[in-house]
Amino acid sequence: MTPLLTVLVVLLGGVVAGIIGSLTGLGGGLVIVPLLTLGLHMPVPEAVGVSLFGVIATSTGAAPRFVGTGLSNVRVGLFLQMAASSGALLGALISHRVPAHFLFLIFGAAMLYSAVMSFIPTASDVAGAPVNSPLAGRLRLASRYEQDGRWVEYRVAGVVPAFCIMIGAGFLSALLGIGSGVFKVLAMDKLMRLPFRVSTATSNFMIGMTAATSAGYYLSHGDIPPLTAGAVILGVILGAYAGGHWMKRLSTRMLRRVFAVVLSLVALEMLLKGFGA
Amino acid sequence: MNALAEHRRWLTAWILRLSIALCLISIVAGLALFLIHGGTLQPANPSGSLVDILDGALHRGEALHAGAFLVAGLLVLLLTPVTRLLAGIYISARARDWVYVLIGLVVVGLVIAGLLLGQAGS
Repeated sequence: MTPLLTVLVVLLGGVVAGIIGSLTGLGGGLVIVPLLTLGLHMPVPEAVGVSLFGVIATSTGAAPRFVGTGLSNVRVGLFLQMAASSGALLGALISHRVPAHFLFLIFGAAMLYSAVMSFIPTASDVAGAPVNSPLAGRLRLASRYEQDGRWVEYRVAGVVPAFCIMIGAGFLSALLGIGSGVFKVLAMDKLMRLPFRVSTATSNFMIGMTAATSAGYYLSHGDIPPLTAGAVILGVILGAYAGGHWMKRLSTRMLRRVFAVVLSLVALEMLLKGFGA
Repeated sequence: MNALAEHRRWLTAWILRLSIALCLISIVAGLALFLIHGGTLQPANPSGSLVDILDGALHRGEALHAGAFLVAGLLVLLLTPVTRLLAGIYISARARDWVYVLIGLVVVGLVIAGLLLGQAGS
């Protein structure tokens, strides 16, 4: 494939990833990595590195809509970020030592998990945590957010288990080139019992920072082809912009389910490649 | 909303808008130059320290070529979350919230460690 055709294909893939990401909340990495590895036969570390730049673009592009609403709990995000970035650093460090077929297996499993989670209702524990855990109290993690013109206060529990989950989320993000948002949201929603909207906004804040930790490793290691990465970034930002405009007109629930089916098929392809079929 | 929270909101929004604009301008310019040169120029993968990466893009015959602009766009995007974090550390320091200043510095340290370890392994 000529460089020009590669750029066009990657740009289009980035647009699709950006649209899907903004409409369904599922990360662009689940589109970019299979496109680059299965479609364009790019080495896995390069595909993962490029995808991480797409993840930063997605997170940065979505961030302005959360600024000033109180939805993103910066204290929770920063504290958990120590764990996520440590995991990301560990994942990046071993990324070149993990056999490609093993990465395909893990990626396929992560995709299947994301697809299954798309069919499970995301209704949160409305009651929230009754009291702050001792550590949450010491770190002053409890906060409030604005909803329909009034401020809603909430408390925070389960800080230590969520911290441990974040190490794993960061590790997977660096190893697979994904945002790991599904794992981060799950930990904050179910373990820390944060309001769901706060979990998603805080997760978005963290995703960019986690991806930056490992993307820096891949960049200085020489794994980032600038042309491919540039096309992905441009595509993702354009796609997210278009998706944001379509959001009100389309049934995102239906779209999320359709995408989950496609995701499952690609996951099977990744698993088959992992098993050497 | 108190003055410090308003300052944080203003600073964060300003950093995000400026970064996205700079990143997009650089990448569009890089891709446009790639097309102008016939769509065949393949910029080499940058590697090494941030200084090496910038130096490589500017002084190895790629000045005003696609590679220099594309690498600049990548660096702007990579540094956006870090800049946002540094702004948060500054605001925390003004509020004398030293625990979060320390936590923020640990996270910045991990990003720098990623760059250094990648460079060492290249």
